[in-house]
Amino acid sequence: MAIRSFFLFILFFSSSLSPVFSLYEDQVGLMDWHQQYIGKVKQAVFSSQRAGRKRVVVSTEENVIASLDLRHGEIFWRHLLGADDVIDGIDIGLGKYVITLSSGGSILRSWNLPDGQMVWESSLQGPKHSKSFLLVPTNLKFDKDNVLVVFSNGRLHAISCIDGEVLWKKDFEAESFEVQQVIQPPGSDLIYVVGFAASYQFEMYQINAKNGELLKHESASFSSGFSGEVSLVSTETVVALDSTGSILLTISFQDGKISSQQTPISNLVEESLGPAVIIPSSVSGIFAIKTDAVTVFIRVIGEGKLEVVEKTTHEIAVSDALSISEDQEAFALIQHASSEIHLTVKLAHDWDGNLLKESVKMDRQRGLVHKVFINNYIRTDRSYGFRVLIVMEDHSLLLLQQGEIVWSREDGLASIIDVTTSELPVERNGVSVAKVEHNLFEWLKGHMLKLKGTLMLASPEDMAAIQSMRLKSSEKSKMTRDHNGFRKLLIVLTRAGKLFALHTGDGRIVWSHLLRSLHKSEACQSPIGLNLYQWQVPHHHAMDENPSVLVVSRCGPSSDAPGVLSFVDTYTGKELSSLSLDHAVVQVIPLPYTDSTEQRLHLLINADKHAHLYPKTSEALSIFKREFLNIYWYSVEDQNGIIKGHALKCKCTGEVADEFCFDTRDLWSVVFPSESEKIVATVTRKLNEVVHTQAKVVADQDVMYKYISRNLLFVATVAPKGSGEIGSVTPEESWLVAYLIDTVTGRILHRVTHHGLQGPVHAVFSENWVVYHYFNLRAHRYEMSVIEIYDQSRADNKDVWKLVLGKHNLTSPISLFSRPEVITKSQSYFFTHSLKAIAVTSTAKGITSKQLLLGTIGDQVLALDKRFLDPRRTVNPTQAEKEEGIIPLTDSLPIIPQSYVTHALRVEGLRGIITVPAKLESTTLVFAHGVDLFFTQLAPSRTYDSLTEDFSYALLLITIVALVAAIFVTWRLSERKELQEKWSFYSAFASQSTFSSLFLCDN
Amino acid sequence: MAFSCKNSSKFNGFSGCIKMVMVGTSAIMMQRRTLAMEASLCVKKSKKKGADSVTRPNSQISAAMAAVTPLLLLLLLSSAPSFSSGSRNAYNINGRVKIPQGLGTKGYALPGRMSNVKVLLNGGQNITFLRPDGYFSFHNIPAGTHLIEVSAIGYFFSPVRVDVSARNPGKVQAALTENRKGLSELVLEPLREEQYYEIREPFSIMSLLKSPMGLMVGFMLAVAFLMPKLVENMDPEEMRRAQEEMRSQGVPSLSSLLPGGARN
Repeated sequence: MAIRSFFLFILFFSSSLSPVFSLYEDQVGLMDWHQQYIGKVKQAVFSSQRAGRKRVVVSTEENVIASLDLRHGEIFWRHLLGADDVIDGIDIGLGKYVITLSSGGSILRSWNLPDGQMVWESSLQGPKHSKSFLLVPTNLKFDKDNVLVVFSNGRLHAISCIDGEVLWKKDFEAESFEVQQVIQPPGSDLIYVVGFAASYQFEMYQINAKNGELLKHESASFSSGFSGEVSLVSTETVVALDSTGSILLTISFQDGKISSQQTPISNLVEESLGPAVIIPSSVSGIFAIKTDAVTVFIRVIGEGKLEVVEKTTHEIAVSDALSISEDQEAFALIQHASSEIHLTVKLAHDWDGNLLKESVKMDRQRGLVHKVFINNYIRTDRSYGFRVLIVMEDHSLLLLQQGEIVWSREDGLASIIDVTTSELPVERNGVSVAKVEHNLFEWLKGHMLKLKGTLMLASPEDMAAIQSMRLKSSEKSKMTRDHNGFRKLLIVLTRAGKLFALHTGDGRIVWSHLLRSLHKSEACQSPIGLNLYQWQVPHHHAMDENPSVLVVSRCGPSSDAPGVLSFVDTYTGKELSSLSLDHAVVQVIPLPYTDSTEQRLHLLINADKHAHLYPKTSEALSIFKREFLNIYWYSVEDQNGIIKGHALKCKCTGEVADEFCFDTRDLWSVVFPSESEKIVATVTRKLNEVVHTQAKVVADQDVMYKYISRNLLFVATVAPKGSGEIGSVTPEESWLVAYLIDTVTGRILHRVTHHGLQGPVHAVFSENWVVYHYFNLRAHRYEMSVIEIYDQSRADNKDVWKLVLGKHNLTSPISLFSRPEVITKSQSYFFTHSLKAIAVTSTAKGITSKQLLLGTIGDQVLALDKRFLDPRRTVNPTQAEKEEGIIPLTDSLPIIPQSYVTHALRVEGLRGIITVPAKLESTTLVFAHGVDLFFTQLAPSRTYDSLTEDFSYALLLITIVALVAAIFVTWRLSERKELQEKWSFYSAFASQSTFSSLFLCDN
Repeated sequence: MAFSCKNSSKFNGFSGCIKMVMVGTSAIMMQRRTLAMEASLCVKKSKKKGADSVTRPNSQISAAMAAVTPLLLLLLLSSAPSFSSGSRNAYNINGRVKIPQGLGTKGYALPGRMSNVKVLLNGGQNITFLRPDGYFSFHNIPAGTHLIEVSAIGYFFSPVRVDVSARNPGKVQAALTENRKGLSELVLEPLREEQYYEIREPFSIMSLLKSPMGLMVGFMLAVAFLMPKLVENMDPEEMRRAQEEMRSQGVPSLSSLLPGGARN
């Protein structure tokens, strides 16, 4: 089988260089799927337009602003802002412009609400960094133009809503002034700016909204100081906490005079609560304080008097206020009860009366409610109805209306941290999930349609029907393993700590699980998921054991926070077990050994360089002890510019005897001079990569041996000056050094310095070559280089006999002191685009030629044949080299639009590209993720081992029928002809004989 | 002109007219025009603005553009130093993306969607979007050499190298990096359209015949119908002789190959 496919491969290798990945427009969605997400919603504003479709505009933590259909949750339009351009606030101005304030309050943009076209953009500068606020007052007019009030960078701006022009501005330059609130009381022409100065002084500025004139400035000092945020309880009163978090300060600045009242929390709540924080809310007259266990709602009555209205230990979320009439404000409150959430809508001045009280059943896998946004609508009977948009712990977005979930979006998938794959269950006899076509008529109709399609006789409606039929063919979304290995589960870990399993056939979510171990708890305050590893992949026990994955996470952002392991079954999504470790996890090394239950051995390195073996079984330990001396690894300290090699030493010599813990020793270290080199990229080969052949036959019957080692590390360093952005450094003071390092011996096998180059460097390592992408400052273009490394020690093994009997890698001893005889070849080419990610296709046996997958700056994925990055390319290749498939050298790499694997789609916010081999040698599965997800199948050398999707069976059938018919027709014809011939012969004979008889008679 | 004026006045606090002269001067430095002309234009425009300040900005822009389009382009090219910012060496880069109307009408449904076009500075360090008329600007950019890329589905744009000079503020040089062509003004146009799909050829008899199976059928038919015709045209005497020869050599005829042929 392998040999056969190899010949086929050779056949295709020599085929022409037309783009290999190419797609007809009607094939979109057959093998690929694309899903659009937005990320965890930070802020939502409902559009109040009466006509047209109802929309909600949201900004998210992925830096997306999007307009969503309120009825179905679909995206109308969406923009992903730059990574540094964090959105601070959004609002809707004049009912038709979406206003966004971003980049720490320095960029203000306006977008057209219906189609998302940017209308204007303004840059706002200021004297110093500060909090930023965006206000869109409804009644503040300026020559018929609505005015936006923006406070950012210590400056107050009034900006025209129509064209973004700054009408006036006012600086707040006082060194220590920290703005806390900007208030524009409706119906007045005043703006209040309140804040703290020097952490114990309360400052209030009253400003004329018409021209920015300072009307009043008052300040009052509070000896106890302030802590945390302030909450606005009315347009002229704020509530703050003192620095101990135990006394509430009610400060009112009515008519420009500051008066205050102090209320210890203990006066309001009997039992002591410990330090509290204020939960900011915009509901007038009510604010909330929260301690570790309790949330207390407090109402302000009259002159700074406070009253507790509710105390709850449930997890709670409160929305902002929604004004429903002249003097009425409503807000929504969500409380958790085991498997339900209770939604109540109350009026601001009437705590006890509920406008609405509903309970909604909620999937436990969504976790807690993090945010609530409320909106109202007028029912047919002219009463108010309410709908709320809620953001859950797993970052999903749900719309609740009339006690039901109207729609939900799994926006956690916009922030994927790590991806791995899992096989699907084997199809068991008798249990078949495949659907059989309902009846013969349907079946016939389907095939007739397909036939029409192939003969190009189909009308557009027929084409649509064929397309939908192809798409929902049950084959590709079945829940069992297939022959070709196209159906798999993609296991993804998201930033919210939720694990999803996506089916590769259609991208649907098979299961999702919010990891309990990644839940906030006493012991683990802010858990973050780190990585996914394949824990158990059963082959021998595939029928009775489920595969599982290992999720490694840690409590807190610092690298020495204790780690948490959890094990999840990939068929069911159940968390099998979880372990809270007493040590940190700095590095996880999956070892190439499995125990009898096919659990993979993993070595976890902690912050003090101790190695811990998992699973903690005696069997694993005995396997590990056997291989004790063969385990090497390396670590990169990119801050210090050091790469170190490590090996195991002995059992831990700690006070607690732990036989699964080992001491380590440093074998070697490579120290890069910090004044001239800074590590920017390190890559190694993928652990599961398969190399089919070590030898490469070159043109003149010569053989080159690839230097294939799992222990090769590619390191790129740049000049420290050049590690910044493009244009910040001149070509003379910038360089890039590329190294190939053996990670067992620490030997530098190859080193090359490029002058006038700059990062960022993206690199990929496969077989015996590495490709890296960087910026050339001299040419001011991006470049890509390839380095190929060949083993020279076996170079004289030219024929089969020498190959068998000659010098071999296995027979020659490996020593630290003997220099491996290697040669490298390299070449560089220009490439047009910046890159975000780079990957290489991988196939089951490594026979198929490779393609590089380049995630471009435009969020597209381009497939580029590795043959374009072949250091043996020359300007005029000889005939022999041409036959071998060497392309004439050009200075830049071609971009063929048909070889974009994402075709006309964008994987917005692209972060990573993952390739997984299918069982079919020609095919590899590609998954690209960012804010969007994209999946497709690629055949880098075309599908030489199977028929393509567009193979015309009908034409084959017609030809066979025509041939058979032709055979019968010609047979008939020839038979008749022969008969005729015989008749004519006999008749001639007969006439002759009659003639002769007559002759005889005559005689 | 007015548009540029308004634009720049957004970024700093000076009144529109003073600012305009400043922008004008920088343009003059480059384009060697007289200050007087710029100034007079400025006054003229500001009068106009006063007259119809109530009208919508778009109509204002289009009216102004029609009047002074060539100047407008020159002015936009200049990058006005933003005096209001704290740091002295921060500049703005203003430019325009232009997609010719003729392009993109065929193919798929993208074109006309200017809202999906992104302009990226230095590999995504800054990202901005286009205004309805195709203009874009980057704010607070340090002096130096920068790279601008345009991402638009369906079009191939060459990255543009932009030099912002610190020595003579406002001077901007731009060049396409793909073909090293200098740009006299920062107007970015696609080099070519990108067709992501193969074009499916319409059904034709020729394509059917050219396929291997079509050729097979064609050959079959040729053998079945043309061969007998050739045979017919032969001289019967010769034919008989040939048949005799064939029989004597034992070459089977077509009919003897077929099951029915065994009967004789």
